[in-house]
Amino acid sequence: MDIDGKYYRSFKKRLKMLDDQHSKERAKKQHDKGKLTAFERLDLLLDEGSFEEIDAFVVPDTLGIEFGKVEKHFGDGVIAGHGKINGRLVFIYAQDFTIMGGSLGIVHANKIAKVQEMALKMGAPIIALIDSGGARIQEGIASLSGYSTIFNNIIRSSGIIPQIAVIMGPAAGGAVYSPALMDFVFMTSYTSYMFVTGPNVVKEVLNEDVSFEELGGAEVHAKKSGVAHFIYDDEENTILGLKKFFSYLPSNNVENPPKIEDTNETPDINKKLLGIVPDDPNKAYDVKEVINNVVDRGSFLEISELFAQNLITGFARLEGKTLGIIANQPKVLAGVLDINSSVKGARFIRFCDAFNIPLLTFEDVPGFLPGIDQEHSGIIKHGAKLLYAYSEATVPKITVILRKSYGGAYIVMNSKNLGGDFNFAWPTAEIAVMGPDAAVTILYRKELAESDDPKKLKAELVKKYRERIANPYVADEKGFIDEVIDPAGTRKKLITAFKVLTNKWVESPSRKHGNIPL
Amino acid sequence: MAKQQKKLYALMGRKKYGFNLPLTETIRIGKRKYKIILKEDNKYGTYVLWKNRRYPVEIVMSRQNKFDILFNYVCYSFTVETPFSLKRKQYLDREKGQPEEERILAPMPGKVIEVMVREGDELNRGEPLLILEAMKMQNEINCPVNGIVKSVNVAAEENVVKDDVMLEIRISQ
Amino acid sequence: MKIKNILIANRGEIAVRVMKTARRMGIKTTVIKTASEPAAMYLSLGDNVYDDTENVSEIPVFLDIERIIKIALDSGADSIHPGYGFLAENPYFAQKCADNKIIFIGPSPDSIYKMGNKIIARKIAMAKNIPMTVGSEGKIPTENEAIRVARRIGYPVIIKAASGGGGRGMRIVNREEDMPKMFRMASNEADKTFSDHSVFIEKYIENPKHIEFQVLGDRKGNIIHLWERECSVQRKHQKLLEEAPSLALNDDLRKEMGEVSVKIASAVGYFSAGTVEFLFDAEGAYYFMEMNTRIQVEHPVTELITGIDLIEEQIRIAEGQELRYKQKDIKLNGWAIECRINAEDVQSGFSPSPGKIEQILMPSGENIRVDTGVQAGSVIAANFDSMIAKLIIYGKDRKDALASCKQALDKVWIKGTKTTLPFFRMLIRNSRFLDGSITTSFIENELSTYHVNSEYEEMLAAWLATWLFVDENLDESNLKIDFEEAKNMSPWLLNKRIIRH
Repeated sequence: MDIDGKYYRSFKKRLKMLDDQHSKERAKKQHDKGKLTAFERLDLLLDEGSFEEIDAFVVPDTLGIEFGKVEKHFGDGVIAGHGKINGRLVFIYAQDFTIMGGSLGIVHANKIAKVQEMALKMGAPIIALIDSGGARIQEGIASLSGYSTIFNNIIRSSGIIPQIAVIMGPAAGGAVYSPALMDFVFMTSYTSYMFVTGPNVVKEVLNEDVSFEELGGAEVHAKKSGVAHFIYDDEENTILGLKKFFSYLPSNNVENPPKIEDTNETPDINKKLLGIVPDDPNKAYDVKEVINNVVDRGSFLEISELFAQNLITGFARLEGKTLGIIANQPKVLAGVLDINSSVKGARFIRFCDAFNIPLLTFEDVPGFLPGIDQEHSGIIKHGAKLLYAYSEATVPKITVILRKSYGGAYIVMNSKNLGGDFNFAWPTAEIAVMGPDAAVTILYRKELAESDDPKKLKAELVKKYRERIANPYVADEKGFIDEVIDPAGTRKKLITAFKVLTNKWVESPSRKHGNIPL
Repeated sequence: MAKQQKKLYALMGRKKYGFNLPLTETIRIGKRKYKIILKEDNKYGTYVLWKNRRYPVEIVMSRQNKFDILFNYVCYSFTVETPFSLKRKQYLDREKGQPEEERILAPMPGKVIEVMVREGDELNRGEPLLILEAMKMQNEINCPVNGIVKSVNVAAEENVVKDDVMLEIRISQ
Repeated sequence: MKIKNILIANRGEIAVRVMKTARRMGIKTTVIKTASEPAAMYLSLGDNVYDDTENVSEIPVFLDIERIIKIALDSGADSIHPGYGFLAENPYFAQKCADNKIIFIGPSPDSIYKMGNKIIARKIAMAKNIPMTVGSEGKIPTENEAIRVARRIGYPVIIKAASGGGGRGMRIVNREEDMPKMFRMASNEADKTFSDHSVFIEKYIENPKHIEFQVLGDRKGNIIHLWERECSVQRKHQKLLEEAPSLALNDDLRKEMGEVSVKIASAVGYFSAGTVEFLFDAEGAYYFMEMNTRIQVEHPVTELITGIDLIEEQIRIAEGQELRYKQKDIKLNGWAIECRINAEDVQSGFSPSPGKIEQILMPSGENIRVDTGVQAGSVIAANFDSMIAKLIIYGKDRKDALASCKQALDKVWIKGTKTTLPFFRMLIRNSRFLDGSITTSFIENELSTYHVNSEYEEMLAAWLATWLFVDENLDESNLKIDFEEAKNMSPWLLNKRIIRH
């Protein structure tokens, strides 16, 4: 071909038109609001030079316009394609707010659907960078059908390839269901928001004044609703966080996650673990200290850190291999289980189970949160979710009981008979139907009422109870615990245990799907 | 863009320190360059070696781009920003303005054991406000901002439910 | 009666301090091991260790009179040293010791009781014409009485708890309108803290200095003083730094106040070590405040300028020996400064910063003394006091002591918790402190920061933050990713995973 010939020249001319569309003025509109452009976000996230765009030149379907006008722009407000993150193939689409507010028209939706289908075919993860004003009113119901296609695709791929949504701008009305259906949601503070019904409608219908931020900002979703799993102060950190998180995931539900070499050479025996759980059962401690001293140093990445803080979920690595961690946090609400934490835990467990990520549970739970509020809001069925998720999971499951483990909560947190593969306990473990205080009050009510010094008697009885029942050795002797271990050697024990479980496979009975309480 | 990042800023309040990338283990003061090394050993723990002097150093907190560093016994809180995120911060500050008041809400139902401050007390971030007992554990609630106590709505022996407004602080600075 | 075995009813640095002297005197010591600090440093220095870790009582052992007596009897101790705090000023405890024929190394139960109740102490001092602030005759039973008395005295006044100190149960009242509320608050706090709601009222001295005199008495009625200590560096009634002697006193005043201290002590027939506290106002007038009937935290500065071991003297006095010094024998040589290094965060209003001490390296030398109960690995718990170490410096005069103190402070190396060290480094460079014009309100009212702002160090910290960020996020060479591992699994497993679909 002649480089100066008409074929090549028109090819180059068209490319230039696309370039010109992504102009400095357009970029400035985003930058002035503290946001990056779609291309800049892709550039930050993907390995240099790895991005291959598809359907860059599609234009909106003008025939389908029912009302109003639509500007003709290349791409129809979304940039889609594939690239690599740290050398791994990923499919991705990034909505472009500078083109018609990133609104979703039928062409826009079809492009997204294309990438989704490719991701499913190739067994590669898909990431959505969302920054959109919502459905394109001009195109009427066609835009809504666009959303339906997208949602359908997400559901078809659910549990087969990891799907991550990153909210970097508005996501309102129907648009929020994409992130809701995907596996993990990242949000950037202040410049993004998610809600089903916006402040204007809220004002109209309920006469309540509320700002975008208050109704559905990042903080709300990270702390109150739990919809956002990660929030960051700005877009660059959001993307850096996403990259980091991504390295823990497998590409699909058949492969294992990539192995990251433990460059810190975490020691197998760690005496620090002896000094974390206090001997006094009423003293709180931070279970994250336990986690950080067992897994590969620096590898613990917490998920939903600000939501239901009484239960910790996150990924970590043991000898470079990804693990899912669940732990009760005694520092918050004494580590009890409640509605929010049960749901948080259940969803996380099911993700790990779908994607063959082994589960490690650290247990120190005195029970479920009592109260009218919890009971009336259905702690019964929500608590059952956690129970269901643990039992349903067929990945390797190991539990380490650190301290308290009473009653129903003992059963729920991956007990032996619920399907725990290995159940270990620390010497500080207290495994019982009920805590010593409550048990003594019930069993010795008469004696305590008749005693001259009930406080002293109670203290003695509690001590006896602790010695005879609420300790790990009784459970050990009966086989409900596999072994009481030396805390300092926890890591070594777990490495060996998980190695043994590498090829674990359990047949699930054949059925369409179970009926998890919802 | 990250690959072409030329400069990073460490921000502390209104103070800004700029460092060129790639970051080297030297800092320029005036015309001369000095070596700075982060070390750790059993005798001294973690420290920074600078101009032949050891400075004790502890990383009190590190999250995303926020760092609390205890350097020579004084704690400094930094956020590390790229030129773009710096502009974004400035934009957001202009748009949102500064919050005026901080309400201290009860994080969970419980009983107030002790209230350590009174109306009019001037406080620093981190100072203890009150002790709340819940589920047999005592939790110390600390002040999240620098400010002056506007009102104290609870007293010792009182019970609170989640999200009760226990104190109001007028934010200073 | 020779003392052979002392039970130390205390922990931390004072336990270590007492044992040091006991060892030198050839006396055996017994210490108590508690569940909250089973590996504390003081335990390794006792000759016998009584294991109290099984104790489930709600009362901590060091406050449990019955239990301490039992431990003393069980372990064969013939005496008890209470240290400071805990039961040191509890007259019932002192009495119980006597009842059980255990020597209490301290004053008589009667003098502890009398001086412990501020109202009684005031009455005694008044009878001896000791200079004091104008105040109520006895306790104030009602709000109305409070208003009446305050009117007589003239505002501002201060309401104080009869049975307490340390700032609790105290309220300053500037106007009559505030009196009812303040009276109620002070009484309630007093009741809660000391189980005694009685309060009294005094004229409030604004911005005073706090100067106290060390006294020593024997059972034969001899009482001497060992000069003064300057304790005006305080925050919320907690002392931070003490000196001996004080710049505020000239020789005449010193002699006079010393004699007044001895007079008060002799009014209750005091023996053992004690401290008489005075407030010193801007005009140079002094007022008796109260007497502390125990050995105090800051006793080392007195020891350094007089060359006398106060613990040794306490033990000898407890044995019944006569004081081996007359007042003329007590010389004042040089100057001493003590810095109380605590595990507190000075940038957050001195809030406690508990944690484990990873490293602690203190300076040493001829003029440096370090009193501590903490070593590397010690845990500073939230439920005991936050003291890490006392750094005590001696110099031939104040200027010399200050210079040595500055040098010594720069050499302190403590890692593991936040400490009050930056406060002292700032104070030792503060002009008001250096010229000696500080009063007790200085720290709270006149200082805006409690550490030195070093732009230099701030920049180094900024570099470190940036370096951490780069290392964590931008340095991709850190990530050694093995993709083959992802595809590498046993056919058994691969087969099962695929068949499932």
